[in-house]
Amino acid sequence: MTTAAQEFLRKADEKSFDLRHRKTIRQGIDSYESAHNKGKSRFSDWEAARDRCAQIKAEALSRLDQYLIQFEEVVTSRGGYVFWAANSEEARNYVLEVAKKNNIKTVVKSKSMVTEEIHLNPLLEKNGIEVWETDLGEYIVQLRNEPPYHIVTPAMHLNRSDIAKLFQEKIGGVQTNDPTQLVALARRKLRQAFFAGEMGISGANFLVADCGMIAINTNEGNGRLCTSLPRIHIAMAGIEKIIPHLQDLATLWPVLATAGTGQHLTTYCTLIGGARRNDEVDGPEQFHVVLLDNGRTELLDDTEQRDVLRCIRCGACLNACPIFRNVGGHTYGTTYQGPIGSVLTPHLRGLKEFNHLSFASSLCGACTEICPVRIDLHHHLLQNRRNAVNSGNRPWTERLAFSFWRWMMLSPRRFRFFGWLGRKLMKAVRMLGLSGTRLDPMYKWTKYRAAPDFPAQSFREMWMRNHAANR
Amino acid sequence: MPQTGNGSREQILQRVRDALTKPAAPPCVGPPRPIFALVGDLLERFQKECAITLTECTVTQGTESSREAITSILDSLPAGDFYIHDTPQLRSLIEGCTANRSVRWSSEGPPLETTQVSLTLAEGLVALTGSIVTSSGCGGRGASVVPDCHIVFATIDQLVPDLEAAMALIQQRGLPSKNSYVGLITGSSRTADIEKILVLGAHGPRRLAVVLQNR
Repeated sequence: MTTAAQEFLRKADEKSFDLRHRKTIRQGIDSYESAHNKGKSRFSDWEAARDRCAQIKAEALSRLDQYLIQFEEVVTSRGGYVFWAANSEEARNYVLEVAKKNNIKTVVKSKSMVTEEIHLNPLLEKNGIEVWETDLGEYIVQLRNEPPYHIVTPAMHLNRSDIAKLFQEKIGGVQTNDPTQLVALARRKLRQAFFAGEMGISGANFLVADCGMIAINTNEGNGRLCTSLPRIHIAMAGIEKIIPHLQDLATLWPVLATAGTGQHLTTYCTLIGGARRNDEVDGPEQFHVVLLDNGRTELLDDTEQRDVLRCIRCGACLNACPIFRNVGGHTYGTTYQGPIGSVLTPHLRGLKEFNHLSFASSLCGACTEICPVRIDLHHHLLQNRRNAVNSGNRPWTERLAFSFWRWMMLSPRRFRFFGWLGRKLMKAVRMLGLSGTRLDPMYKWTKYRAAPDFPAQSFREMWMRNHAANR
Repeated sequence: MPQTGNGSREQILQRVRDALTKPAAPPCVGPPRPIFALVGDLLERFQKECAITLTECTVTQGTESSREAITSILDSLPAGDFYIHDTPQLRSLIEGCTANRSVRWSSEGPPLETTQVSLTLAEGLVALTGSIVTSSGCGGRGASVVPDCHIVFATIDQLVPDLEAAMALIQQRGLPSKNSYVGLITGSSRTADIEKILVLGAHGPRRLAVVLQNR
């Protein structure tokens, strides 16, 4: 088993039985669910909206090269810079280079999962650049030196008293646990950063090909401030963020908002196409877009799973997933958590190291059912499992166990014998008082649960008896 | 002044093209059908949506009552600078109602950190979602996000029914090529990052007020 897999099991075990964690997550997800249902009811046909979004993103992917070039042409024609990064390193280095050339000391960031994916902050900080996460949730996890817990609500695992305690330690001046007061405190601190920030780094929810603009959706307005006040703006996005037309946003914007938080529309739906023009009041002097590949073209090459690139990172599948609800976001040990993370991470970081995530699923299909762009998530989990087995990336003990199982199942006599043996063995374990101890062969299951009694007769024996009696 | 080359452009595009030689199954979807119910009365719907998103919407009859509505908002705010989108329309509207505030016109530069309130025009209003369509042409980027309160002055004929109409308006007016920023704003700045509890005024305006003149 890989270290990542061992770590996953260890943390999953810990978090599943952490009652405080369960309570916080349940509260967060319950409130998401009611908002999401209310949000869906504002569409006359939510399923039609999902269809439309799936089609828009599929169309974008089917001519990805053309749309990317179109986007680049429009952006550069207005004086923006477009940089194509094959991997994390190229993307990180580009940002650092721009920062150094412009003598940047302070960076303000609006929420961007791509910058998490490429681990941008540590590099900037190592080079003496101060980095401020300005999304409140991101700011909280940054103060805690933690990765985001959830792709949309990064501090979902913390309650108000955790946050009050954290603010008291790091900022000071906390008087109450009241969320309004806590937000006001963060606002004062972060506004100083916005006005001092020399470079703003944002993500992009969409890259609109026909008008050459990036689309950013934020509720807090931090995305607006990051892209309005500093003298340089760098937007970072995966190449799959492209959409063909501005008109597509008429559907994608409300669908993203509803799937993400249950809102009808995110407060600030922002389009940015360049630096400040000569006739404009404000805005940055430079506008850069970094287009990141980092494994995405390999996913495009996988025709079975290409639809994963339709993902708009709304986080709905995390909220719907029974595994996520039990083990929590940090357990995954990945940038993208939940079903989408389990499907995506093996493509971004290797099947060998991350195939275990695809096994951490009940295959219930809740993720597929909620996905606003109709990604066939649970089947992709199954395909990853198959690929992991076929490429020899599973432990030899598992292979041995399945060979044995197959051999046993192919003969009624063997099936009968091993069924009998199993029942006897379990009975013996219980009689000896070993149930739930490490000597119990079913330890992983029985350590938290009482094993049920095995019936005296097997189904097969009962069938034989009843069948004989009825004849 | 290009900062550096364009990175792995050719390599990435080649990989995309190679991958796309293999077709993938199209998404399994039904025939296209309407997504939102048609919006009937634009003004009624806009007001209803404003109530949901906590946008203050005041409908006025003529310049005089618009001026009164703006004055009453200004009077309810603490002291501080007043930032105004510099257009002849707002110059004449605002005459005599800046109270005792020091005024900064957008032609004099962007809003300062201390700006208490701003007044701008909008490119349009969306009835379906209660949104305002704005751009850097409406007093700049900061006008709608730096102050504590953002007042938008608009007229009823600026209402469009839904988002498709809003996108068409943006395109027809050529806003993307004339402005480096275009946006929809629906409500004031907010966050629910702490226990999913809604708090207004996360970073930007705590209040968004639309003064909608019926003429």
